[in-house]
Amino acid sequence: MLRFALRRLLVTIPMVFVVVSLTWGLIRLAPGNFYSGERPIPAAIVANIRAKYGLDRPWYVQYGRTIGNIARGDFGISLRYLGQPVNDILFSALPVSATVGSLAYLLALVVGIPAGILAAMRQNSKVDYSSMAAAMAGISIPNFVLGPALVMIFALTLFWFPPARWEGFSVNLIMPVVTLSAMYMAYVARLTRSGMLEVLRSNYIRTARAKGLSDRQVLLRHALRGGLLPVVSFSGPALALLVTGTVVVERIFALPGLGNYFINANLNRDEPLIIGIVAFTSIAILLFNLAIDILYGLLDPRVRY
Amino acid sequence: MAVNVARADSNLETVRGTSLWQDAWRRLFRNRLAVFGLIVVAIVTIASIAGPPIIERTTGYTYDYIPRDATLIKAFAPFEGPDGSFSWTHPMGTDNAGRDILARVLLGGRISLMVGLISTLVSLVIGISYGAASGYFGGRIDEAMMRIVDVLYALPYMMIVIVLLAMFGSQSPFSQLLLLFVSLGAVSWLTMARIVRGQVLSLKAQEFVLAARATGVSPLKIIARHLVPNTLGPVIVYATLTIPTVMLSEAFLSFLGIGVQAPLASWGSLVADGVTNIAIFPWQLLCPGVTMALTLFSLNFLGDGLRDALDPQMRKS
Repeated sequence: MLRFALRRLLVTIPMVFVVVSLTWGLIRLAPGNFYSGERPIPAAIVANIRAKYGLDRPWYVQYGRTIGNIARGDFGISLRYLGQPVNDILFSALPVSATVGSLAYLLALVVGIPAGILAAMRQNSKVDYSSMAAAMAGISIPNFVLGPALVMIFALTLFWFPPARWEGFSVNLIMPVVTLSAMYMAYVARLTRSGMLEVLRSNYIRTARAKGLSDRQVLLRHALRGGLLPVVSFSGPALALLVTGTVVVERIFALPGLGNYFINANLNRDEPLIIGIVAFTSIAILLFNLAIDILYGLLDPRVRY
Repeated sequence: MAVNVARADSNLETVRGTSLWQDAWRRLFRNRLAVFGLIVVAIVTIASIAGPPIIERTTGYTYDYIPRDATLIKAFAPFEGPDGSFSWTHPMGTDNAGRDILARVLLGGRISLMVGLISTLVSLVIGISYGAASGYFGGRIDEAMMRIVDVLYALPYMMIVIVLLAMFGSQSPFSQLLLLFVSLGAVSWLTMARIVRGQVLSLKAQEFVLAARATGVSPLKIIARHLVPNTLGPVIVYATLTIPTVMLSEAFLSFLGIGVQAPLASWGSLVADGVTNIAIFPWQLLCPGVTMALTLFSLNFLGDGLRDALDPQMRKS
């Protein structure tokens, strides 16, 4: 197990390296520059800017410096938020995204798993059909339609919540979290249902029934552990998806999270900030995936490392 | 698929058996939700293709037509005429510049469906060749190729697409579309590669592949002529399910303002335009939003129905 974890950690480093290099290359190959705007800038100022940010050095020196800085955990200084280190921005934005994201996934699990179990236990019943239709709606309604629709109903008609404001951990979070959660709820419910259906047909469940356990005990002690495995393995890629989801939700509800900074950084060509966020999320996702794989091994006795 | 159905029909007259495809059709048509999906998708497709010229002929509006008359340059509610009475001119109302929203939604449909189809084709080409090669060659090559897929799964690839589009985008509306097709196709082939690989792994052990190899057919030809055509069922099913996912990604990018560029519009950019006015002109958000959700809903049902019909054993998630 330890060897497996170490080997995976070693794979993570080159992966982050590849992603960072790719992003760096894309930004550098693109036409234009972060200081090129509507108004032409005098040549002397351009020369000054280039000297200050080291853009007058050959590309491999700049690339080497970027990689070296990241290896030391220093993402440099933002080009647009003048003088602000990217690390500071990351640390201020991360709690926002992490709060919204983890609450959304938690809500998805809390609603999706029972719905999926219920649907599987009563397969082809009205409960099954209606929860699966609801799940399909959750997958099909884009979050950038659902979010504004919720704003329209709950903020602008019923006046329950403010349409957008970040106040830390408060009721304002309800709408963003529900918006972000809908799709994962749907996925989790579908995965739970199919996982449970498969497990309920298996031999060890028949054995458990045959030895006289109640439905409740069969479900809680035996079926759940196997039936939830698809949900566990979905959690890895789900985090990668959650990142894009938070971009939209932070945009709609004006939350100062990583996604919002990422889009602004892209529009401003704020290279250190773009690379910082990409590198940071890649590392987070890869580590999270590793944790999920280890958890999977603990839950599924058939898996050996 | 039509060809196969025809073949199945001629089969019926001579042998009176039911082929896989015939069986699949029957099962698909018995699934009410899938039929509903098929009908809605057909209506949206036909309306997107035939609608804009009809609207232009009857009312003179196109997706970017702004009326000359200054009194018409304002947001009308659905079915509201210039004098406030009922009128058929704008069934979905107009936007702030007086442009007909129905015409814009139909153009958005054209673009969204086109992105969905073409990007899915791109992902099919990459996914099938990658998966087939991995499955056919097997062993170490297979292991390495699939390991790469596993790792790619875990990467925030939409972030890289965002960087790509933000950096290279908006040279012209058409190069932007091309960029969208390729970049979305390039990030959605992973599952397709896995499916094809699994199919090829089991197919290549069969006698007809051995026979082909024995008669000296090259690996490339075996893959293209003998293996890939046999994986078509699951590939079609998964492609149907890829279309709505890709459309969703495109709409997401357009919503953020880095996808489809003005004067063109897609459902995502129309929703983004509508969001700015939700308090006063809610139809500007609801019309494109509901159209899009309904289309994705139908495509997903159709895909699920196709999967149940083509492969009853694959009834999963």
